[in-house]
Formats: sequence, C-alpha cells, structure tokens
Amino acid sequence: MDLGKKIVMNGDVLQGFLQAIQPTSLAATAIGCFLGIVFGMIPGMTISSGIIILLPLTFVLDPSISISLLLGLYVGGMLGGSFSAILLNIPGTPSAAATALDGYPLSVQGEPGRALGVAVLASFVGGLFSFLCLFLIAPRLADLALSFRAPDLFSLVFLGLTVICSFAAKSWIKGLLSAVIGLAIVTIGQDPIMGTARFTFGDANLLSGVNFLTALIGLFAIPQLIQSLGEGQIINNTTQPASMSFKKLLPASIDIKRMRLPVSIGGIVGSLLGMLPGAGGPIAAFMSYDYTRKTTDDSQKFGKGAIEGIAAPEAANNAVTGGALVPMMTLGIPGDPVTAILIGALLIHGLAPGPLLFIERADFAYGVIFSFFWANIFNLIIALAALRLLVKLVATPRSILMPTIAILCVVGSYALRNSLFDVYVMFFFGLLGLAMKWLDIPVVPLLLALVLGRQLEENLRIALTGSQGDISVFFTSPFSAFFLGIAVISIIWSIKNTRKVRSKNITT
Amino acid sequence: MQLLVVKTLRSSKHLIFLSLFLFGSAGFSQYPDRAIEFVIPFDAGGGADIEGRLLADQMSNVLGVPVVPVNKPGAGGAVAYTYLMNSAPDGYVVIWNSTSILTITNLGYVPFTYDALDHVGRVEFQPLVLAVSANSPWNNLESFAADCTSGNQVLKLANSGTGSGTHLGALSITSAIGCETLHLPIGTRRRNASVLSGEADGMIAPLTGVINLAKANRLRVLATLSAERNSVIPEVPTATELGISSLFDLFRGLSVPKGTPKEAIDRLAEAMIGAAKSEGFMRFSEEAGFTVEPMEPADFEMLLAAEDNKIKMILENTEFIMPNNN
Repeated sequence: MDLGKKIVMNGDVLQGFLQAIQPTSLAATAIGCFLGIVFGMIPGMTISSGIIILLPLTFVLDPSISISLLLGLYVGGMLGGSFSAILLNIPGTPSAAATALDGYPLSVQGEPGRALGVAVLASFVGGLFSFLCLFLIAPRLADLALSFRAPDLFSLVFLGLTVICSFAAKSWIKGLLSAVIGLAIVTIGQDPIMGTARFTFGDANLLSGVNFLTALIGLFAIPQLIQSLGEGQIINNTTQPASMSFKKLLPASIDIKRMRLPVSIGGIVGSLLGMLPGAGGPIAAFMSYDYTRKTTDDSQKFGKGAIEGIAAPEAANNAVTGGALVPMMTLGIPGDPVTAILIGALLIHGLAPGPLLFIERADFAYGVIFSFFWANIFNLIIALAALRLLVKLVATPRSILMPTIAILCVVGSYALRNSLFDVYVMFFFGLLGLAMKWLDIPVVPLLLALVLGRQLEENLRIALTGSQGDISVFFTSPFSAFFLGIAVISIIWSIKNTRKVRSKNITT
Repeated sequence: MQLLVVKTLRSSKHLIFLSLFLFGSAGFSQYPDRAIEFVIPFDAGGGADIEGRLLADQMSNVLGVPVVPVNKPGAGGAVAYTYLMNSAPDGYVVIWNSTSILTITNLGYVPFTYDALDHVGRVEFQPLVLAVSANSPWNNLESFAADCTSGNQVLKLANSGTGSGTHLGALSITSAIGCETLHLPIGTRRRNASVLSGEADGMIAPLTGVINLAKANRLRVLATLSAERNSVIPEVPTATELGISSLFDLFRGLSVPKGTPKEAIDRLAEAMIGAAKSEGFMRFSEEAGFTVEPMEPADFEMLLAAEDNKIKMILENTEFIMPNNN
C-alpha cells in the first residue's frame, strides 16, 4: 500500500514528533493520564465515560492538545481499572477483570505495593510494544486485521472460550456449569441477528441484555462485602499480617525476571487483538493470562498472587490501546468505543482519521502516534508517583472502606447507563455470586461466557448467513482453521494438566 | 474567532430573553429556568452521540441554562424512547431522536407508535448510500443491478442491524432493482471492514459512515437513496435518476414527552434551530457529511408521518418477518 512507503523518517514524522513534545501537549497528556487513572479506578466510570466528560473541553482546545488529553486518558484508564482490581477486587474496566485473579490475592497477602508495581511496569512495556506496532507496521497490519471475516472471528472467540478449561480444573462439571449459566444469561435481550426479544418479559430495560460491567460489579464485590460483614476485620481467609513495602516502587529484579515472558505474551496478544474491530481488551487479557499459565512451570501458584498472573493481562490490556489505534488511524475504523469517541473528537476539528489523514495531514497523524508514546511515559511516571497513596488506600479501616465500596457498587452500576434498573441487576448478580461461592462453583467461567457469548453467537450466525448454512466455512478459511486448531490443542493441554494436578485446587 | 462566536451567541441569548420577556405568555415566561436533560439514545462515541453533544452545547448557549447530554443506550433506542414516554412533560427533558423512532416502533420493539411523543423539529438529514469496495468490479449502479438480477450469484449486502434504517434502505433498493440479496446484519463496528475484506459485496450505510473511506478511494459510492444529489458528494447520482426509485434519508431531531406545553416546544425549537445553524455545528456537519436543514415542529410532524408510511410499505412489500409479534 501507499501508506507503507510513507512510513519512513521524513519531515512529517519530525513535525509530528515536535507537535507531540510541545509543552502544552505534554501537559495535556499528563493531565489526561492522571484523570484516566482516577476514572479507571472508580467502578462504573469506564474510560468511555471519562472521555465523554472531557469531550466538551476538546470543542475549544487545539486538536493536538485535545488528542493528547484524550489519549492520556485512554492509556491511564486502562491502568487505573487494574488498580481497583488489585486493591479492592473490583475491576474498574472489563479489561482489568483478569488482573484481579492474581492481583487481589497478592494485595491481600500484604503486598499491594508489589502487585501495583508489577502492573504499572507491565502496562508500560505492553503499551510501548503496541506503540512500536503502531509506528512501524501499522498500515500492513491494518490490512491483515481487516481480512478477518465472521468465521475467523467466531473461531477466535471460541478459542477465547477454551480458557474456561483452565478455571474448571477443580471440577469439570462445576466449571462447565458456570460457563453455561453465563452463556444462558447472554441470551437475554434482543438476539444479535434478528432482533427478536428473548427472556425480556416485555421489559424494555432487558432488551439490550445484561451489561457486562454491571454483572461484574455484582459478582465480584457483593459476595466480598457480605463475607467481610461476617468476618469483621478480616476480608479474606488468606489474609496474612500486613507488611506493606512502601519503599520499593519498581518491582525487584527477581520479579522483573519473572515478568519477561508474560509481558511478551501479553504485548503480542494485546497488540494483535486490539487491531481486530470488536475483539477487545477482555479477551486479550484472559488469553494472555491463560497462555502464561500454560507456559509457566509452576502453574499452581496462579490465582494465589502470581507475579506472572498480573503481568500478562496488564501488558495485554495496555497493548490493546495501541492496537486499537491502528485501524482507527489508518482506516478510520474504530475497534472499541474509546477509539470511536476519538474519531468524533477529531472530526469536530475537521480532521478525519483514515488513509487520507496520512496523505493530507501526515504531520498531525504522526503527532497522534507520538502523543500515544508520551501517554505511556507519563502513565508510568504518574502511576509510580501515586503508588504510595494507593497502597495506603488498602490500609483504610474496613469500617470506612467497605461502606464506600458498597456505595461505589450502587453508583457505579447506575452510572454505566444512567439506569436504576441496572442497580437491581447488579444486586441480582451479587446474590448469584454468593450462591456460587456457597456451592463452590468458580465464577470466572461465567465471566468469560458473559464477555464472549454475544460475539460468539453473532459471528456464528453472520458466518452461517453469509455461507447460507454451510458449516465448512469455519475450516476452509485459514485463520479460522488455525484458531480452531489451537482451541483443540488448548483443550487437550488443559485436560492433561488437570489430570496431573487434580489433587491440588486452583482457586479462582 | 472563538471569542467572537461566543460573544455573538451571548448577545443573541440576551436578545431572545428580552423578546421572551416582551412577548412570552404569562406563566411560562421563565422557561427554561433550570438544566434540561438531553437524552441520547445511543452509546457514547457514535455519530449520534458526538452530533448530539455538539448540538446540546450550542443549545445551552442559546437557552442560557445547561443542556446536559445523558446517554441511555440500548436496543436501538427502545430504552431511551421508553424512558421519555415515562418522563414528566415539563419541557426539561428532550430526546435526540433519529430514524430509529420510526423503525423500533414499526418493528414492535416498543408497545407504542412514534406519535406517543411530541416532536420539536428536525435538525439534519443524510442520505443512505450504496457503497462497494474500490476493488470490486462495479463502477456504477447499473452494473451492480445487472449482476444482482442475473442470478449467477447471490450478492451479500451488509447493514447495521436487522430492522435498522440501513437494512430497510437495503430492502428498498433491492426490491426497486428487483433482485434478491443476502442481508448481513454485521453492525456498525464491522460494517465497513466487511465490505473492504470482501465478506460482503456491498453495503447500505449512512453517508457519514463511508465518506472518508470513499474520499481515500477505498470505497466506491454507487448511488444515494436521496431525492436530490447530495452536496457532499455531488458526483454521485441518486438511484431515482437512474430509474431505480428508492428513497431513504436518515434524519435526526428532537422529541419531548407527550403533553409538553406548546410554549416550551416552541422555545426548544427556536433554540434547536439556532444551535443547528451555529458555526461550530455547521463546521462539524461539513466534515462529517450530513446536511443541516432544520424543520419546525409542524413540518417535522408531516415528515414523520410520511416516513412512517414509507417504512410500513417497505415492511409489507418485502414481507419482512416481524421479529416481535407483540
């Protein structure tokens, strides 16, 4: 493509670089990162809602400053979502759900600083890796990502679902039961192809189904609140005497060594999945988590505060940001809600992201790419500076922290769609979470089914509509066949692994 | 420049206040005296959202009270329209409507019709277009129509969702051509991608959704479904002028709960028209590719009635299977 030739060091690249290092742009990036971390941490405040709050500001600001601000918020929000996942076990964003699996246990074991440090560093490396993808090979990758069709996406999502096996090791029946409950819940609302109402009982609120984040808040936070009621000061059985390390901000060298592989997996998986419109952060985070567990010798420590289990999803969800910018910048196709808003914010200033932008305003296009680079740098600096404060948050007396979390759950589930109905849905999922805890059914398979179920059905049915019912499309498309092959390997691997370690439990 | 605009708007605001003071009817002359809720029936970030936010921003300049955008997404607008149905008709809640108010009511997603709300006016419209990949063999609508009717292959047309305006537009043009296609409800996020990859042979899409890829020569716009050629793409013919009579424009405007006082509706219409013609909104429209052409309440009612009929006709003629039978 023509664009490929343009990616060489030329005047536009330099111009873009200079635009991104203007003091005002840098300041805007830094403010954006800070706000992003704050927004990301508050349950119910998604990155999209944070960006929307700032959007009116960008009506009056210079476009290069606006985009710096918004990109800072995007990158900061991804990390902020993980902070609340690690500290409070409430993922601030869907992409941070996988981080809670090991981040929260490590935090409860008295090492919140270590968990946060690993998350910050992994995010930074993941973000930088996706910046390189964006800067060096964006146009070619964009075309590759575009050639994904419905059958390929179905198989990819199916592959994502096989991650469930890893969380069902204790009991296959209970794990699969949890997944099936999740898939059943996904069928609530209009079906993705015909729009037929399913299980809505005539209520318009249910037409759009169950919001993933609403369910997430209920499933994670409510059982934990109830449990802490019963146990007074203790929040989790595994709580040990707190010995928080305030001093060490960056991970120790032994941790860095353990992070190498997971961060590489996360960076690659995140960047690639970020480029596919609609695939998104949660799949990338869970898949990286799963692959890391499978390639690590000591997979038993996962779910109990493994450094690797934090590093992989964190690198992945921040790499998704750079990946999502690839189709947005090169084709004007948004991969997630945030990039859709970014496109709108640029349009207001007469700048339409897409192939033309690289031809007509290449300096600006590169300015955006470099702003993304600086957003990652500032994210690291601001997050490290904020760590001391954040770690203290965990030391807040339970009598203050728990009611605060309860309020955040209610406000958060309301704020997502400005709907009181969603608050009831959140409480329903809280009860479901309690019941599952009581029956010792793992929650993660349900969670995965909720994230992936709708895409699974949608892509399956579009693929079959397109092929007029011919199932062979899933095997004749090379991408699809490849993903299905890996899915089979993934399942076999999990079964073998489970037989080996059946005696030990994997808590989720 | 920015300052100047603000200043002009401020002074016009005072002027309007003054005129309201002089001519306003007693009892409602204080309207509006508090913030107005501006419901956007779609997710944050889409075209509807950005346009709506910009309009709300400009409307608050005219009205002198905050006009606060609130997203109530879900079920193609059904959630938001239902919310409005149940809101107090006091002039402090408006909805940024679209063609969806006619589609979801006709498809039975909600148990009421479009006239269960009162309507303030239209702000803008944009044509639906038939677009194909620039690598496709079709250079004009005639060749596409010929391949579609030949029966050698079943062409696939992508749309934004079953029963959406783009789907109805696709049904309208294919029945006008007289051919059968597969309709793939791929959704807004992947619709353009599916045409570029060849997964779909073409698509019916709003002009704003394809304009930039068309300018970059990645997509080819074969025809618009408008009555007249569009000033954004004057070189593209209308389907009608090629002898294929298929008309389908998408509109956006404002509605309020049934029973909202006429004074409030008129005041809102006035503010809406002022905001639509503001420099900020006009500049955005040029870039995005929609046409700002405000309509007063009475004209908009007529347009809605006509469009509602047209949609009913399309659904009947194509024997569209109603997803909901309630």
